[in-house]
Amino acid sequence: MSAVGEPAAPPLGLRDLTVAVPDGDRTRTLLDRVSFDVAAGEILVVTGGSGSGKSTLLAAAGLLRRPDSGEVLINGAPTSSLSERRRTSLRRRDIAIVYQAANLLPALTAIEQLEIIGHINREKRSEARLRAESLLVEVGLGERLHQLPGKMSGGERQRVGIARALMAGPSVLLADEPTASLDKGLSTQISELIAVQTERRGLATIIVSHDETPLSHAHRHLHLAGGRLDEVELAARPLS
Amino acid sequence: MFLALRELRRTWRRFVLVGLVVLLVATLSTVLTGLANGLVTDGISGLRSLPLTHLAFAPHADATFSRSTLDRKALDEWRQEPGAESTPIGVSFVNAASESGGPSIDLALFGIDVDSFLYSEAHQGSSSGSTDGERLNGLVLSHELEEDGVEIGDRYRIDGTGTSLPVIGFTFGGTYGHVPIAYTDLSIWQQALYGDDAKGRFSAIALRLPPGFDVAAADRRAGTETLTKEEAYSGSPGFSAETATMTLIRAFLLVISALIVGAFFTVLTVQRTRQIGLLKAMGASSSYVLRDGIGQITAVVVLSTAAGALTGAAIIALLSRGDVPIELSLPGVLSSAGLLVATGIIGSLFAFRRITRVEPAIALGVEQ
Repeated sequence: MSAVGEPAAPPLGLRDLTVAVPDGDRTRTLLDRVSFDVAAGEILVVTGGSGSGKSTLLAAAGLLRRPDSGEVLINGAPTSSLSERRRTSLRRRDIAIVYQAANLLPALTAIEQLEIIGHINREKRSEARLRAESLLVEVGLGERLHQLPGKMSGGERQRVGIARALMAGPSVLLADEPTASLDKGLSTQISELIAVQTERRGLATIIVSHDETPLSHAHRHLHLAGGRLDEVELAARPLS
Repeated sequence: MFLALRELRRTWRRFVLVGLVVLLVATLSTVLTGLANGLVTDGISGLRSLPLTHLAFAPHADATFSRSTLDRKALDEWRQEPGAESTPIGVSFVNAASESGGPSIDLALFGIDVDSFLYSEAHQGSSSGSTDGERLNGLVLSHELEEDGVEIGDRYRIDGTGTSLPVIGFTFGGTYGHVPIAYTDLSIWQQALYGDDAKGRFSAIALRLPPGFDVAAADRRAGTETLTKEEAYSGSPGFSAETATMTLIRAFLLVISALIVGAFFTVLTVQRTRQIGLLKAMGASSSYVLRDGIGQITAVVVLSTAAGALTGAAIIALLSRGDVPIELSLPGVLSSAGLLVATGIIGSLFAFRRITRVEPAIALGVEQ
């Protein structure tokens, strides 16, 4: 908690984050002392070529893997020395991920994809159901609550994925190529939906993408190459 | 169980194969339990139907009639025990040759006193005029020999003794060691076994003892080794071997079932690696994923085992109408099914070691 008068810590901060992976006899550095903050309501778009380490960046920022060195700060609190149990608890409460192909559970209907988050968080069933329904209505799927993923279009699946990510009320939203498997029109809609939700809920959002659609909603643009991030100049889009 | 139950409901086809295998194993296990019960019951049915609570054998006879010989002295000691009813019994296996040219028959010959409490069993269903008031003057045979064509009045010569005895009746005496029982008078049994040198010897003493009777003290006085009726079953020929064989077969079935369930769920876990990673990435702990998986396995194994046990019970009911020694026993079926469920779940636990090892980063396609 910040002291009176001090500015609140950003929901997400990375400090000198380094990740290396074995590559034959050598090691390959995917992230080389990467540092940045993402403020509440801000959208940071990270671009980079295939295999540049974009997903690794998200995995480390989302506490899905431990970096070799450096620190991930969630709401200003360091996480590197936390137990796996505490990191799981942080993931449950503060971090949400939108996946490339939605990554929905094939046996669950749209509303159940959200309800399971409530179940994992030991939330009351009736309350979770109400919230799940209202979120799905919010992303435009009020008529598709009981549809299984196999019967949904790509755009609908991704909307469910976004609604699921918002279900636990996170402060950090990480999106891994959310528009990669969609056509131009749907990509724009999904990017817009993420932008609206980021602003409405004050999320710190990172979108990694190899296409440029999400850039129209970005506040900052970083390019990842050789493990290093370079800031790319964007037309001014101030945080609201 | 949030995900587990919905997967079972909506993707049930993927569980059909393992369910079917567990069902077949449960069916086989139940039928084998029925066969084991039937065989054991058939082998000791004669002893079980006798109205006694205990049997006193000679020391170290190991509940085996052929290894036990007692005399009048031991019987007199037992007759002095207050509250105890006692009567001598002679048991031996003989071959009886038909004097009218029919096939010879194997018999478990039980020699009893006509004035004893055992006589009520031998007398049940026997023809009138079968005794002269003091002696059982012939053979009272197990009813299954009547179904084989033996008739009252037929005469049989006890092999090796020259003793010729008429069939004087039939009774639901059952078998001992799968050999039909024949009751006769103890004096006839002694003549058949020892000739003129019987000296009052017999195999054991049948007892009816009240609850709380001090058996050990009475044994010390009489020089006998007394067992309950149930303990004495183990002396029935083939009893231990049959029980051990059936137990071994069932143990193998349980191990096979555990391996099948374990192998199936290992494959399922490998197929679900990304889904498990996704659940963990959403904040589910390893124990949440484990509970969900174990609950799912338990549901599959319990349902399949229940269906298999019912199928097995139906097969037992059908077979028991024929000549197969098979018997439906609810405790047997339940314990067999319970063991199958337990071993199935234990088998699946091997697969779940993999669950705890799945890293959440796999949800993003990132290998550690």
